[in-house]
Amino acid sequence: MTKTPLLEIEDLCARVCDKEIIKGFNLTINEGEVHALMGPNGAGKSTLSNILCGKSGYEVTSGSIRFKGQDLLAMSPEERAREGIFLCMQYPVEIPGVPVTTFLKHAVNAIRKHRGEPELDTMEFVKMVREEGKKLGLDADMIKRAVNVGFSGGEKKRLETLQMAVLKPDFAILDEADSGLDIDALKVVSEGVNALRNGKRAMLVITHYQRLLNYIIPDFVHVYADGRIVKSGDKNLALELEEKGYAGFVREK
Amino acid sequence: MTGLLQHISLPGDEIPWLHEIRTNGKNVFASVGIPTAKNEAWKYTRLRELNADDFVISLPQQNLSAPQAELPFDAYKIYFENGIFNPAMSELPQGIEILPLIEVIMFHPQYRQLINTQLIEKRFPFSALNVAYLNEGIFIHIDSRVEIKKPLALIYHTDTRGQNLLCNIHNLIVVEEASSAKIVEFHYYNGEVKSRYLANIVNEIYIRRNAKLCHYKIQNEAFKAHHLALNYVDVAENGSYNSFCLQKGADVSRNETRVLLKEPKASAEVNGAYIMNGWATIDTTTDIEHLSSCTTSHQLIKGVVGGDAKGVFQGKIHIAPEAIQTEGTQLHKALLLTDTAEVDVKPELEIFADDVKCSHGAASGELDEEQLFYMRSRGISEEDARQLLIAAYLDDAISKIEDEKIAAWIKLWAK
Ligand SMILES: Nc1ncnc2c1ncn2[C@@H]1O[C@H](COP(=O)(O)OP(=O)(O)O)[C@@H](O)[C@H]1O
Ligand SMILES: [Mg+2]
Repeated sequence: MTKTPLLEIEDLCARVCDKEIIKGFNLTINEGEVHALMGPNGAGKSTLSNILCGKSGYEVTSGSIRFKGQDLLAMSPEERAREGIFLCMQYPVEIPGVPVTTFLKHAVNAIRKHRGEPELDTMEFVKMVREEGKKLGLDADMIKRAVNVGFSGGEKKRLETLQMAVLKPDFAILDEADSGLDIDALKVVSEGVNALRNGKRAMLVITHYQRLLNYIIPDFVHVYADGRIVKSGDKNLALELEEKGYAGFVREK
Repeated sequence: MTGLLQHISLPGDEIPWLHEIRTNGKNVFASVGIPTAKNEAWKYTRLRELNADDFVISLPQQNLSAPQAELPFDAYKIYFENGIFNPAMSELPQGIEILPLIEVIMFHPQYRQLINTQLIEKRFPFSALNVAYLNEGIFIHIDSRVEIKKPLALIYHTDTRGQNLLCNIHNLIVVEEASSAKIVEFHYYNGEVKSRYLANIVNEIYIRRNAKLCHYKIQNEAFKAHHLALNYVDVAENGSYNSFCLQKGADVSRNETRVLLKEPKASAEVNGAYIMNGWATIDTTTDIEHLSSCTTSHQLIKGVVGGDAKGVFQGKIHIAPEAIQTEGTQLHKALLLTDTAEVDVKPELEIFADDVKCSHGAASGELDEEQLFYMRSRGISEEDARQLLIAAYLDDAISKIEDEKIAAWIKLWAK
């Protein structure tokens, strides 16, 4: 079976505030694949996810990123989202005064419009969100509240997962999806993520700990340290890492 | 003399009372002139453009007809065209007396005594100018113990047809004991967007014992226009005045609200929002005078300023020595969308009584980049994301409006 590359990162170097964070990063993710990226705190994992989504404040000094064959770096954040990139954020943002329904309806319809699909009316939209929300054990009232305002850590992550379920991206980045979750919430979120796995949708699961990978089982595992991938393997690499610690890998480079 | 003062003859000049106050108004305005930055009350809001000498006073004309205005709520519609009341087009409710002001001045001396001579003082140059031409405007009289559920919508439509119009409007509104009503003002224009005119409006409002008036307003004048409004509100025992003004149009606009809480338990809510771009100046000036015990006032004003525009807020709370156990709060907040946007804020508290609760605050900020990115990363365009954040910013102020349909209408315009 020939594989179709979805995301191709080549020799990426990037800085934040004149500080070199990403130093020659290479990774290709094909359709349907789930990759785990593991690295210690401060390695630059969130930096990478933010660059993939087009957040400002990061300077790409060399290298390229292609998504579905297109130059990703030339696209605005909203164009990337409409093309099918979704970032499940490590620290979801609170937006006082904007209800989840309003926010999500704008997002869904912007993406549907881009895909040439008819926009959903309020009834259809609410029905869809309710159904998806129920699967994630979300309180029906939550979608009436302002985005992430007063949400617990677990609720924030569930809302991120709900957004992913509703927006149906081709490529999802999960940045520390497990941080701040107790074991029950972790199971619910993982189930939500696993339900979205299919032959086409690809994922990059970023995590500090191996624990999450017991629930979301990756096809590939990469160890990320000092701005680049230092080792790649299958899911067993995560276990090896858990034993040896990051120090053992960083020395290997 | 400026182009704003002219010798014209108006109906009723033969009535000594009317002739005298018109002359007083003229003399006061002639001596003060158009205020400059040296005038403390006008130091942030410049009126240079009013020095043009080709103003034409808007007078009743034949075949003036305003377009029908669509409102998304049921209302008695009262039309003004270029500041001139159009009774033929207006839907006048039963049980409420609505008359042209000039008719009241000529034939109902008991009501004309309500016209406040303080309005001709030097500190109110534009109401002096307004009185110099006292003629246009209406008298609204709501009898005691009636509740008018359907709002009275005062629809002010301007189409200058190439002239620099001076539109003086003077309304006298009396809500008698234990009555309640809602008044909506809607100011808009048609035709040439660059038309220049000065809408110079005075609303004198009397709220009697246990009565309540809700007063909601949208100012969306042409972008070269001036809009100067003074709401002079007198509230008796346990009466309440509840207002909201959205200002978004005009080159220079001031909505000034002075409330006299004259008797115990009188209360006022003076809320508002403004949203602006270009080179406009939008000014909100308030002066709440607590003159008796147990009176309360609350003010929440929120602004969104883009381009090279300037927002001005001057808010005063005065608490007289006898006004014990009163409460006065004031909060002004502005969102600056560009580096060249500006807000000037002047809060003033004058507290002469003990045992009062009084607070004021002001803050300004920018759109939050993290929030914008979060929305855009979900596919929402930058423009839509900004609009959503702006609407969210103004939401708590607009939500103070008690009538849901009117609040929804104002939200639609607050963009
Ligand atoms: N806005 C910023 N300004 C300065 N330094 C930053 C900024 N964002 C990230 N960094 C630095 O970049 C490095 C990588 O951060 P991050 O990508 O958040 O790491 P990780 O997600 O792997 O924990 C850290 O040393 C961090 O301090
Ligand atoms: Mg991180």
